[in-house]
Amino acid sequence: MSNVCFHCGDPIPTGLDIASTLQDQRREFCCYGCQAIAEHICGADLSMYYERRDTNTAKRSSSDTSALFDLLNDDDLYNEYVYQEAQQHTIQLSISGITCSACAWLIERHLSNQCGVISIHVNASDALATLVWDPNKTTVQVLSQSLQQIGYSAHPHRPGEQDQIHKAERKKAIIRLGVAGVGMMQAMMSAIAMYAGDMQGMEDSHRQLLRWISFLFATPVVLYAGLPFYKGALRDLKNRHFTMDLPVSLGILLSYGSSVIAFYTESGHVYFDSATMFIFFLLLGRFLETLARSNQNKARHNTDLEPVIVKREGSEKVIPVHKLTSGDIAKLESGQTIPVDGILLSDFTNVDESSLTGEYQPVAKHKGDLLRAQTINVDQQIELEVTNIGQNTQAATISRITERALSEKPRVAVIADNVAHYFVLAVLITASLTYAFWSFMGEAQAYWIMVSVLVVTCPCALSLATPVALTTMTNAFKQQGFLVTRGHVIESLAQTKQIVFDKTGTLTQGKFSIVKFVNLSECYSEELLLSWISALESQSKHPIAQTFHSIPPSKVDHLQNLPSLGVTGEIDGKTLFFGNAALMLQNDISFEQQQYAEPGKLTLYLADSKKLIAVVSLCDALRPEAESVLSTLRDQGVRLSLLTGDSATSAMSILPRDWFDDYETDCLPDQKWQWIKQQPHKGIVMVGDGLNDVPALAGATTSMAMGASSDLAKLHSDAVLLSDHLETIPLVLKGAKRCRKIIKQNLFWAAGYNATLLPLAIAGLIPPWVAAIGMALSSLMVVVNASRLNKL
Amino acid sequence: MESLFLLIPIAGIFVVIAILIFIWAVKGDQFDDLNREGERILFDDDETDMKQ
Repeated sequence: MSNVCFHCGDPIPTGLDIASTLQDQRREFCCYGCQAIAEHICGADLSMYYERRDTNTAKRSSSDTSALFDLLNDDDLYNEYVYQEAQQHTIQLSISGITCSACAWLIERHLSNQCGVISIHVNASDALATLVWDPNKTTVQVLSQSLQQIGYSAHPHRPGEQDQIHKAERKKAIIRLGVAGVGMMQAMMSAIAMYAGDMQGMEDSHRQLLRWISFLFATPVVLYAGLPFYKGALRDLKNRHFTMDLPVSLGILLSYGSSVIAFYTESGHVYFDSATMFIFFLLLGRFLETLARSNQNKARHNTDLEPVIVKREGSEKVIPVHKLTSGDIAKLESGQTIPVDGILLSDFTNVDESSLTGEYQPVAKHKGDLLRAQTINVDQQIELEVTNIGQNTQAATISRITERALSEKPRVAVIADNVAHYFVLAVLITASLTYAFWSFMGEAQAYWIMVSVLVVTCPCALSLATPVALTTMTNAFKQQGFLVTRGHVIESLAQTKQIVFDKTGTLTQGKFSIVKFVNLSECYSEELLLSWISALESQSKHPIAQTFHSIPPSKVDHLQNLPSLGVTGEIDGKTLFFGNAALMLQNDISFEQQQYAEPGKLTLYLADSKKLIAVVSLCDALRPEAESVLSTLRDQGVRLSLLTGDSATSAMSILPRDWFDDYETDCLPDQKWQWIKQQPHKGIVMVGDGLNDVPALAGATTSMAMGASSDLAKLHSDAVLLSDHLETIPLVLKGAKRCRKIIKQNLFWAAGYNATLLPLAIAGLIPPWVAAIGMALSSLMVVVNASRLNKL
Repeated sequence: MESLFLLIPIAGIFVVIAILIFIWAVKGDQFDDLNREGERILFDDDETDMKQ
């Protein structure tokens, strides 16, 4: 295991040697960023973090949010986000990178050691922190910096209305669960005493006391804790589509109702214990499910607070996006997402409109053209006049692309719902027929026979069968770094026939690395040339430029972005050009292009005004585990497809054709989705990461987004591969199949139990208390069987 | 066995008190972070161990 990074757990690229001695042991890292963080953590005596964390991985947040905190220098904004008292200021921070409680511990420890911090409390479930500091001793900007030193980035957070509602609902759910749990225990205790009394005999007065007790404890459970089920059932009746809520409510109310009658008339058996236990287990399942889902919403950053440079009254100012008004003139860097609709004031730029149109090629825009919100300014710094602002534009974008795809999403049949649909009718008809028959025969006990029928058919085990298994599986998946965000995922994964992969960022690492460097100069070293390139690219936000940002740059003047060509600048009095072949041609620098260019690799040239100095080849490297994962999946009998926007030559230079059954290149985002739609069978899993995958993700039966995906991709996928490790996919498929098997076993057992006892109950052979014990045991069986899924 | 008529209701009153305390705790944000609090004691423990 020495070839994974000590801090983040990513594989270390071969040939790289970054190591430090920490806690008397040599530790290796994948990059200088991780090394710096680990040294900082161990230096601050917080190395226990590494022993205590759940997994050996960390999500290192790459985004630098110091610009956000610089915005807080503005008094108005500061007042909005910071609660101020005489000697202490308080702010809520939403922190990205928190994966377990060890992270929370690390942050609390590290920050409380900082000068001026009065208190810090981190909530690991919501990834929120409340920070209180002394404004005379430190500033929030300094504190956010020290958070970044240990690998977390923070955003100022203002709890929205939605958060408040969510929080209140969660509290209610916990109280319901508590009431149901405690009530259940009391009712059961009395029930056991009564069962014992049935066998050994007991005084009527004692029995009556126990009945009172169980009635008193069961009533709040049924009337208060069970409320969500009744609401669901009412909704079902209104929509005329039955889910499990209806049989569940029926089961609860009938067993409670008949018990109340029995209690009141002092005849017959009471089932308060069954009713309460039923409610408790179902509530527990639901609670765990919502808990798993809400973990997904951690990454809700406040986009309002993106900084924008604006020109007002002749001077430039940095303000947050939501303070822009129409008529403002905003200045945008290359690579920046355009936050508003506006009219281009600069002469020319290229804009990536893929989020709106699906067109991946940048579109040329000239002075006076309209630029739309959520598109990306690719080329150079521009100025635009704001025409439309607000979340309206952005919200419209997101919904436009995905509503289309989502509306056509194929549905995989969810077993439990199908069962529920017919079950309710069958139960009601059988019970009333039984009652009618026995009353017709003049049987005085007709009512109690009907109660027996209802208790025997009470779908406790049946309705627990699926949710218990799914909840257990969801939790086991989470341990593996696979976050399930929609209910249908596990059942649809079990029916996977085909997996469609995106290339860039999914099978590959999604970032360029330097694979070849040819030094054509005689007097400069490679390091020096690289530092020149780094300097030239230092202002660019283009993905290519990011490759060089880790190299220490030289000093540079007169930097200029040349749209679609490259960059130019002056170093040591020399004018240098760095860019593609077209840039060289434009500057009359002649060279043999064939000699350097390779298919699938991006070749860039560094030249002065006369001749070529160096050639750099960049390539997006394959994830190390990709090959073995693909062959494992093939062994599992899954059809493998590749859909990429790249050209065939460049794709095949990294990914051999014969690793896949289908190999589609040059796909536009919309074509990806169309292609998936045309596949003959359901059960398609799409794995992707980028904005251009979003329609395909939304349209596939099941979709997984990589952990490092764009927010939009994560939002529209059914599951997120938090670990970013492809190995998880075959594991998850296997787990889902096993889960489906267990659900089937559970359903078979529960339905079998109901079916066997039903004729006996109709015949009046089963006393209600036997039915109640049977019901409890069959539910228990289902729960125990599902717990086998805990180990993946 | 007459004591049962006294003891069981008293036990019941304790249960009600327990539920009320639980509700109070939930309303006071004590159950906001279910991932965290369970492990807090382990961290604090190890820390004192390390110092010694």
